[in-house]
Order: sequence, then C-alpha cells, then structure tokens
Amino acid sequence: MKTFRILAAVLTVAALSVIRPAEAQIFRKMYLNVDWQYNMPVGMDFADRSSGWGMHFEGGYYLLPEVSVGAFLSYHTNLSTLDRQTLQLAPGESLTTAQKHSVFQLPFGVTGRYTFCRDRRIEPYVGLELGSSYARLSSYYHVVKHYTDTWGFYLQPELGMNLFPEPTRRFGLHFALYYGYGTNDGTLLVYRLDGLSSFGFRAGVSF
Amino acid sequence: MIAKKFRYALLLGVLAVVVTSCEKEPSLSSLDDDYLVYTASDPAADFSLYETFYLPDSILLIGAGDRTTYWSDRDAQSLVSAVAENMERRNFVRVDDRAEADLGLQLSYVEQVTYFVGYDRPYWWWYYPYYWSPGYWGDWLGWHYPFPVYYGYTAGSLLTELLDLGSETGFTSKLPVLWDSFIAGVVSPNKRLDLQRALRAVDQSFEQSPELAR
Repeated sequence: MKTFRILAAVLTVAALSVIRPAEAQIFRKMYLNVDWQYNMPVGMDFADRSSGWGMHFEGGYYLLPEVSVGAFLSYHTNLSTLDRQTLQLAPGESLTTAQKHSVFQLPFGVTGRYTFCRDRRIEPYVGLELGSSYARLSSYYHVVKHYTDTWGFYLQPELGMNLFPEPTRRFGLHFALYYGYGTNDGTLLVYRLDGLSSFGFRAGVSF
Repeated sequence: MIAKKFRYALLLGVLAVVVTSCEKEPSLSSLDDDYLVYTASDPAADFSLYETFYLPDSILLIGAGDRTTYWSDRDAQSLVSAVAENMERRNFVRVDDRAEADLGLQLSYVEQVTYFVGYDRPYWWWYYPYYWSPGYWGDWLGWHYPFPVYYGYTAGSLLTELLDLGSETGFTSKLPVLWDSFIAGVVSPNKRLDLQRALRAVDQSFEQSPELAR
C-alpha cells in the first residue's frame, strides 16, 4: 500500500510538471514512463516466486523521429519460502532452520528504442536496455537476515506500446513485455546464484 | 521559473524516496513456529580420542542481572538428561568427578538479554557475556573457540559447549571449545519454555553433528 501511495504522489507531481499544454512542445522530443511491473524468475532456485513488487522508471529523448535514447532504473523483489532443512555450511558446521529467501534487483543504465507510428494514438516500439545490475540475496531465519550484495552487467530486450488518447497532450498509458538478464553471481549459506534471468510485464503511464 | 524548478526538485525527491524504500521485506511471522539449531565443531578435533565427560546438573541462566543464577528444576533436569543421553549414545561415558573427565559440557539458557556474538579469523570478539567461568573447570586463563562461529543470543536460546579438559593448563592457557550448539526458538507464545520443542532441538543438535562420536 505504501508503494502505491508513493506511486500516486509520483504521478501527481509528474503530471503537474509535464502536461501543461503551453509547455508541451518543449517535451515533444522527450518521453517518461513510470510503471508497475510483474516479474517471473526463470531458472533461479534461490527466490523463484513471481511477484509484483517492483517498479520501472525510464526517460528518453528522440534523436530521430523514430529513434530515442535514454536512461532507466527499475527495482524488483522476488521471494520464496523454504521449509525447515539442515544446511551443511562447512565441514563440522550445520544449521537447521526454516527460511525465507529474497532477491532484490536494481538494474539501471541506458536504453534505446525504435518507435513505430510516432504521434499516433498507439505507438508500438522495440527497445533494448543495457547497464549495471545490483542484486541483494537475502536469507531470513529466526531473527537473522543474512545477505550478500552482487553486481553484474544487465541486458534487457523489450516490446511495448504507448497509448495516447490525445496524442498532442502526450499523456497516456504504457504497456511492455520484457526479458531481463543480469550476470550477477554470488553465494549465500549453501546457495549459489549464477545469473539472474526473468520475464515480466509492465503497466504504467507515459508522458 | 522558481515554481518550475521547485516542481522538478519535488519530482526528483519523490523518486528518490521511492527508490530507497523499494525493497520488499518478507513476512517473518511463520519463521518462529519451530526451533533453529546451529552447531559447529573444531575441524581439527578427533573425538575418538576422548572417553569421559562431565555434565553439571544445572543450567546457567543468562539474564539481565550480574548475579550468577543456575536453573535446576524438573525442566532443566530433562534438558540435562537429554544432552547426557545423546552423549552416551555416541559412546562417551558420563563421570561424576569433574577432575576425571576428558570433556566438559556446559549448558546456558538465555532468559532475557540479547547479545550478538561473532568470532572470526583474525580473532575478534564483541559483546560476549560473562557466564561459565573457566575457573569452574580448572586452571585456565579463559576459553576460546578454535573455529569461526556466529550466532545471536535472544531470549529463549539454549547454548551447549563441549570443552577439552585435557588441554594444557596454566595462567596463559585457554580452554578450547571443541563443539558448540546454539538452539533458538524454544519458547512458546506466552514466553515460557516449550520443553518438548527444546528436547527435540537437543536431539537435532546431535543428529546434525555426526563427527561428535567415538
């Protein structure tokens, strides 16, 4: 609920800042997307439950009528619950406990898009995001949070579209499907992460 | 112009709040339903070289006060017996004379306070409580773990340490801990000891330590 309240505040401020008609031309070559996202991990045992605990922010500038470059930042948390088990941490060292696992990803970097049908009510596009991927792997047990921080390279192709009820006002909806891959690797307790791979979709607003 | 800058500053500020408060923490309520057992032993220890052990009939209580208090009612005796029976199943022999024992076992129950204990290479201690005195066992300066251990004391934790009473004594010598068991989560919702859960946890601490046998 807290996230949704913050999102509402972001949208309100963004709308006040960007959509005034007199300033519309200034931003004609720019775009801004603020999205909620649903993320489905692929091939990751550490925290394999899909979730909607994430958001995506992206802004760009059209260098050519159809080609834009920009920057993005997103974050997401995926969780899983593990029943009680005995972990062999090292020779002679063991831990028996139930756990909750969490993977928190925060990729950011540059983005490029090719947009079809610019300035129409529906603007489909293909995009590619490249950058750095920060991820924190956490294991919660008893009163303990055990975690490790990892970094990697991030790559994310994306298919999406903007829907503008009134194209001249540049205020509409945004939908996208993506596949994200981060080269993050790390170990925590007896678990090893070798890359972060996921599918997902986004829904939000576009300016 | 100032108003416009203010709007952008506000937008950036809100975005900063969103990003920094974005990690979703899982609900931990179901994690308290049963015990946690952590055990560690000295990789260099050869337990087949030891035969006898001494186990006091009381459990030291670690509370908020400075006064040493021991716990020896029926529940405490059940826990002491469970530890002794597990040792005997591993073919160690309990003796009544402390001076004759190869190994010493000390049990402590954390009643109120919370500590965090860490011990790593290079040696580093912090917030370690004073409880079982090395002088109880003999002529040692102090005692130490010859292996890295990490655990947090919280109310309702049971700590068992196995000491090498055959190690070198003297004013500069330390009494080594050969095996350590940390049990948490053995209190019921009304903050009282759940004895059956604690007994199962004691059994689990031995079950996950197959090296502790002769």
